[in-house]
Amino acid sequence: MTVTESKSQWRKHLQGKTEAMPPAPHVAVAGSMTAEPIEPYLGTHLLSKGFENPHITIAPFNQLQRLCADPASVLSTENIDALVILWRLEDMFPELLQRFLCGDATAATELMAETMAFVSALSGLREKFSGTLIVSTPPYPSLPGFDGAEILQPISGSVLHAEILEQWIKNISSIPRLHILDLNALLRKTGAEKAHDARKWHLYRQPYTEAFWHTIGTQAGRLIAAQTISAKKCIVLDADNTLWGGIVGEDGVEGLALADDFPGSAYREFQKHLLHLHSRGILLAVASKNNPDDFYAAFDSHDAMVLKREHISAFEVHWDSKVDSMRRIAEKLNISTNALVFIDDSPKEIGEVQDRVPDVTCLLVPEEAAYLPDILRGTDLFDTLEITDEDRKRATMIAAEDSRRTLQSGMSEEDYKKALELELHVFEAAAQHVGRVTQLINKTNQFNLTTRRRTRDEVESLMQSPTHRVLGMSLKDKYGDYGLVGVCILEKSNDEARMDTLLMSCRVLGRDAETAFLAQIAETARRWGCKNLAGTYLPTPKNGMVKNLYAQHGFTQVDDSTWRVTLDTAPTLPAHIKAALDIAA
Amino acid sequence: MGDALIQLFSEVLDVDAAELNDNTSPDNLSKWDSLAAMNLVAAIEDTFDVRLSTKEIMKMSSIGLARKTLQEKNVKV
Repeated sequence: MTVTESKSQWRKHLQGKTEAMPPAPHVAVAGSMTAEPIEPYLGTHLLSKGFENPHITIAPFNQLQRLCADPASVLSTENIDALVILWRLEDMFPELLQRFLCGDATAATELMAETMAFVSALSGLREKFSGTLIVSTPPYPSLPGFDGAEILQPISGSVLHAEILEQWIKNISSIPRLHILDLNALLRKTGAEKAHDARKWHLYRQPYTEAFWHTIGTQAGRLIAAQTISAKKCIVLDADNTLWGGIVGEDGVEGLALADDFPGSAYREFQKHLLHLHSRGILLAVASKNNPDDFYAAFDSHDAMVLKREHISAFEVHWDSKVDSMRRIAEKLNISTNALVFIDDSPKEIGEVQDRVPDVTCLLVPEEAAYLPDILRGTDLFDTLEITDEDRKRATMIAAEDSRRTLQSGMSEEDYKKALELELHVFEAAAQHVGRVTQLINKTNQFNLTTRRRTRDEVESLMQSPTHRVLGMSLKDKYGDYGLVGVCILEKSNDEARMDTLLMSCRVLGRDAETAFLAQIAETARRWGCKNLAGTYLPTPKNGMVKNLYAQHGFTQVDDSTWRVTLDTAPTLPAHIKAALDIAA
Repeated sequence: MGDALIQLFSEVLDVDAAELNDNTSPDNLSKWDSLAAMNLVAAIEDTFDVRLSTKEIMKMSSIGLARKTLQEKNVKV
């Protein structure tokens, strides 16, 4: 959307608003500079992401220190979902920068100290404000002395900024639930000359052009949207004229364009970017209409290939339709088709997938090969605030799943379970587990007895509560580690431990892990001095698979939703699972 | 559409066009505060594809004066 379109759309939104609509979300922006121009761009980005009634409040400018010390004196923070803080060194510490430029040797040290004091102030704000906190990096100062354009100017300005930036990011990252908006990187991408407007700076203490506010507003909107909108998980790639130039069935392996010179360089660079996304936990799959022999000859043996088989979680190489390929890939990876991004050079294939599996995001390879490597550059499709270890390991786990399937064929169910050599570990959830525990609580639908959703804050406070225990369960077998795949929240009252939450990821079903998990939960309750273990089952349209879980494990039904077992008769460990328990006494 | 400049002020200031005329200024319209002034400049530059100097911006202390400034820059308003 252009600057003008955003503004007019936002104006229409504001006119259509009624008092009765609750703000969703309510975002406040506080700047060391006048930040009002961000409103239409941030607002329309949130509208485009499906938020119905974004409401934006701008705090009075250059009150950041006061905001940190006493938020209520600047903003009524009560119903604010997210607070965006934009700041510049030249607004907050103008005298120190001036002294630095005039050769005062102590000014650099003082600037660093002031910057670190600002980190402490923000960490104080974190304690007082419960919503999401988004804080910018300090952009490269827009002062003539920092331009580096005068040939005799010392480069110390660049060094000073680099040092401050490094320390800022390092220290600010340790503040919980704080997300960084890299204003410095945005400024670099736009270019200082295109981003600044000296007239507006002098008239309104507002340094930026409308175009740059558009960039900042969009980025802030992405950070806010990423909290609730789920990112795409898998890129499905066509092969001919997508992974390489040319058609392997016609041009042969030797005839393909894939090299360090153009046009092969474009395909190689694209593959390198895909490999980078893969390292962040995004899955890759191939859907190609080809003779498998031709395809694999190129994929496995072309020496300029960057991607290898180990990076690809699913291959669909045949002459069946790509619509079928999309569905098979989603099924194999156990994800929904709306988590797929499909990239192909054929408008016909893209059109067919769009028609028949409309929730797949489709991208057409650009006609200009040089633009192919940029097709995913800066995209918000994979926006996520936190990459958990489980995300990073997903591709490895899918490969392990392939090995398990091979083992399973031609074996009885019982022999297979034994052959897996399962090891289950139940432990008290600690700080490093909160992200994954919260993720499981909010996205597990099927093996979830109560489907009680909780925010990260709520999980953290339960971990501190003396009457609650938050247990994590991880599982591994001889092929690999499934990671943290189960959560139980126990609540103690008198001599009974009640399972407020009990859930398990679907990828570990059919291995009796639930029985071992219940046995370890019972043992935890025992060590906690309880006599009974109680569980709740709250039916939903999706959790029918666990409606008999308690009955199957010797629990007696007490009322509509409650089941109980005395700990003398509680479930015991299945023989084929080795189990460990790590809980505080 | 009517008067394009009145229309622009009406949209940015969120005031009915009928209440605006060339004598409207920050002195007789409370919604025309310093933030509104900033938004007006951005909207004028955008809509009429002009670039205003700070002197011109400071001269625009009523709709009539804004009109005069723009006419001097060959914008037909």
